[in-house]
Amino acid sequence: MIAPGVSTPPAVSAALTTTEVQVTSGFKGARIVLYGAIFDPGQRPSDVVVIVRGPEQPIRIAHKIRIAGLWINSRPVIFQGAPGFYMAASTRPLAQIAGRPVLQRLGAGLDHLAIDAPAEHKVETRYGVKDVVVNRLGFDYPEWRRAVVRLKSRMGLYDEDDHGVVFVDRNLFKAEINLPTDAPIGRYQAQILLFQEGRPVSSRLRHLEVRKVGLQRALYLFAHLHPWTYGLASVSIALAAGWAASAAFRRS
Amino acid sequence: MALDIYLPIAEVSINGPLLVTLGAGVGFISGLFGIGGGFLMTPILVFLGIPPAVAVASLASHVAASSTSSVISYTRARAVDFRMGSVLATGGVLGSVLGVEVFRWIRLIGQADLVVSLSYLIFLGVIGGLMLSESLTTIIRSRRGGPLPSAGDRRSSLLHGLPFKVNFPKSGMHISIIPPIVLGVFVGMLSAIMGVGGGFILVPAMIYLLRMPAAVVVGTSLFQIIITTTLTSVLQAGRNQTVDIVLATLLLVGGVIGAQLGAKASSRFRPEELRAILALIVLAVGLRMGLGLFLTPAEPFILMTGAGG
Repeated sequence: MIAPGVSTPPAVSAALTTTEVQVTSGFKGARIVLYGAIFDPGQRPSDVVVIVRGPEQPIRIAHKIRIAGLWINSRPVIFQGAPGFYMAASTRPLAQIAGRPVLQRLGAGLDHLAIDAPAEHKVETRYGVKDVVVNRLGFDYPEWRRAVVRLKSRMGLYDEDDHGVVFVDRNLFKAEINLPTDAPIGRYQAQILLFQEGRPVSSRLRHLEVRKVGLQRALYLFAHLHPWTYGLASVSIALAAGWAASAAFRRS
Repeated sequence: MALDIYLPIAEVSINGPLLVTLGAGVGFISGLFGIGGGFLMTPILVFLGIPPAVAVASLASHVAASSTSSVISYTRARAVDFRMGSVLATGGVLGSVLGVEVFRWIRLIGQADLVVSLSYLIFLGVIGGLMLSESLTTIIRSRRGGPLPSAGDRRSSLLHGLPFKVNFPKSGMHISIIPPIVLGVFVGMLSAIMGVGGGFILVPAMIYLLRMPAAVVVGTSLFQIIITTTLTSVLQAGRNQTVDIVLATLLLVGGVIGAQLGAKASSRFRPEELRAILALIVLAVGLRMGLGLFLTPAEPFILMTGAGG
């Protein structure tokens, strides 16, 4: 360890109360607490930003349009690079902590989430029928992006909390991660950033695994590894149950 | 609620007793009217937040279960024309394989919502309307004591002119197998697209188009539904991995019992009264599903999840 002194760079450290969330039959979401500490002999004013990202899940989104009196879906647009879960928590509003370019580079905050619809850009240079569609999306692009964030937030999958990181003691902070029931299965990454004078000076990565266990996992694996056997098994249960009920009622 | 159960394939948490009760309720209707009940169950499951693809696929085995439960009673009553059922099922198998492919393509272009809503509105609306007017006419005539129109005297000459005639002794008919096969294909396609067994179309089509005797219609339609839903269920599991065995089991526990009670209750009603009630249910579901097409949506954008789009 480096001996404490004025030259020691500031550092941040953190730990999660749980590193594995088990999805069982009674799973109703999970609340994970992140604890962290700031080591800064200089005691400069510090801000902490916690960014949690779930496994990547492309998003298909469509716009409802009215044609001949009927509300129908437009052609779906696919956004790449979207995390299945995203949370940004900070000690202050992000805009007060750092400038736009810094936040954008770190992907900190829902406004700076690096999601994009690459398929829509590719056709932009072409001429012909497709060109019309792409120009329309290009014009409305921020609206589509806002819609992705709005719909995901409504499902509890995207969240930004300006005061989500709370100091419980002088240099000790905590943040809460709330996973809804339909939080995606997979590996999550929590990035803990220490900001001083608008710049990130130290960061830590922590990992969290959301996985199905027990019967849930066994059935999920069965369905995906042996899909045809699984199908036959489930239909056999159904037919047997139908026959059993009929037999039971005949006797009674 | 403490009794919420996490469904491993649907990846949502749903109240367990609610699903069992729902299964029993739809199973009762299934036994009462001799239909699968899918046209009722699919919209309810989707409304509860289950991804449509999972709802449709898991439902197929629920429908197979409640249909098995009630078809056995009909078999004992010798009210199943197995020959006609097999012909219908042959068409049904072709239709459901075709329907699964069509539906995949519809999902790809993002129009699953529209096609499903329109199918419900059109087919349930038309069939519900026709059944309602027919059954009300019959009820009114029988109340007045007037002569009942006999079902057999208006055989279409079109059905009689077709080749490949086969004898169906159970139904007392000698007709071409082309109309039942075409009917089977049509119903099979609809079942893959709408997530239904197709009984609500089969039953009236067998009565009004094929002119089968009413006594064997329900049992025979159930027999055909079991075969197509069994196949659909295995196909959906094998190709799309969208069958949720926990969801299906919870639904069918209630479903098989409900179907038995429904089949018992059906003898207490007159057939035309049953048809009138069924017509009202069919109409209500069709209008409810179609309503979304006309109302301005509160949220102009819609997310299409991997399974649900």
